[in-house]
Amino acid sequence: MNVTQDLSFIHLIGSASVLVQLVMGLLLLVSLMSWWYIFLKMFAVRLAVKLSEEFEESFWNNSDLIKLYHSTTAASGEAGSMGRIFVAGFAEFVKLKKKQGMDNNAVMEGTRRAMRATYQREMDNLESHLSFLATVGSVSPYVGLFGTVWGIMNAFRGLSNVGQATLAHVAPGIAEALVTTAMGLFAAIPAVVAYNRYAHDVTRLSSRFESFMEEFSNVLQRQS
Amino acid sequence: MSAAVYAEPYKLPAGAMALAVHAMFFMLLYFGVNWRADPPQGMEATLWTPEMMSATAKAAPQVAPVRVEPPLVEQVEPPKPPEPSKLVEPPKLAEPVQPVVPPKADIELAEKKKKKELAEKERQKAKLAEIKKQMERKKIIEAEKARQSAQAERERVRAEQAAQAEQERARAAQAAAIGKVVDEHKARIVARIRSKIVMPPDVPDNARAEFDVTLLPGGSVLSVKLAKPSGNEAYDAAVERAIFKAQPLPLPADVALFNKFRELHLIFSPKE
Repeated sequence: MNVTQDLSFIHLIGSASVLVQLVMGLLLLVSLMSWWYIFLKMFAVRLAVKLSEEFEESFWNNSDLIKLYHSTTAASGEAGSMGRIFVAGFAEFVKLKKKQGMDNNAVMEGTRRAMRATYQREMDNLESHLSFLATVGSVSPYVGLFGTVWGIMNAFRGLSNVGQATLAHVAPGIAEALVTTAMGLFAAIPAVVAYNRYAHDVTRLSSRFESFMEEFSNVLQRQS
Repeated sequence: MSAAVYAEPYKLPAGAMALAVHAMFFMLLYFGVNWRADPPQGMEATLWTPEMMSATAKAAPQVAPVRVEPPLVEQVEPPKPPEPSKLVEPPKLAEPVQPVVPPKADIELAEKKKKKELAEKERQKAKLAEIKKQMERKKIIEAEKARQSAQAERERVRAEQAAQAEQERARAAQAAAIGKVVDEHKARIVARIRSKIVMPPDVPDNARAEFDVTLLPGGSVLSVKLAKPSGNEAYDAAVERAIFKAQPLPLPADVALFNKFRELHLIFSPKE
């Protein structure tokens, strides 16, 4: 290990050992991805909340369910999770209603199952990538620490070759080793914050969907 | 449900924003944390331990405070002017002699004669007194003159002494300044060499190596001679290496002082 006085950032990374550089690369990738998911989720959750609010409003202001069904299916992709749950439930209800000799309870049961299936899919979609954020938040500090420990080990090994040990001999090695810890923390902290935030948002959305499903079932039961 | 339903509409903006965050982070690291890239070349600090300082201070300024004799403060009292009352006695006026009553016949004659004599006496006495008085006055003036000249003489002597002292002091100060510079640079040379010593292991604390070092103007070392070995060869060798490694040795800017550095006798001990 060459003892260097140059502490510029690029030099620090460049003079690190291969393993430390690998760790740095991994952490950079992880950090990039976690930030990408953070922004992705931010937009997705915001959109889901907005669409649900809009749909709920139109649902309660619109007494004609058939009209609402047609407008929602026409909107297709932009309907939002709640709209899709409504479409699935209503389509199932109408299909079962058309069948002769169906028990009213059985019709409601089928409708509810259809809505639950759609609800599960929606929740799965909303919760996607959240586990990635959680993993990054908990693991990347350790990865960074690993890189640091390795770098410091190298620094001390290099120190043994030098006759007179001074701080100037160890300092660059430790500095470059600590860069990995910094990167690990940089990846972890936003990931943890974002995970907590989005988990909370998704839980609120799911409870909102569930209450909507109950209310919608009541409306259908009244009409049947 | 088709996959299109779940297509994330914000993939690209999110990716761009993530990249922007990282770019910002690295810019911050690169420009914000201006980690010192190179050691300052031009500056070189010589560490001065307190004892070293006191050594030079002790060595040098002893010459400096030349005891300046306090200017003769003792005022010579001016001689008292001679008391006039004592010396200049007013001439005694002769008391009128009571005329003895002579026989009536020559009374007049005798009287006349007597009167004449008396007047004569009186006159002489007055004259004498006058002369006396004049002499007294002369004496006073002379004394005054003598006093003045003595004082002038004293003052002249005093001024001369002061000037001499001043000169001496200036000379001493100059010598002290030179001595101080010399001592300071000697201490600096020793400190610089000491900083270059790579201490071999197991050197006893009381090892004492003495070297005769011959310098060239400019601070390079012409020759190094071990005047008195310390007994530890490794230490001697380390010091000798350090002396060469310490070139150029710090010499005073004043070239005239180089003669004091041409031959140096340096003593090294690991304890200091």
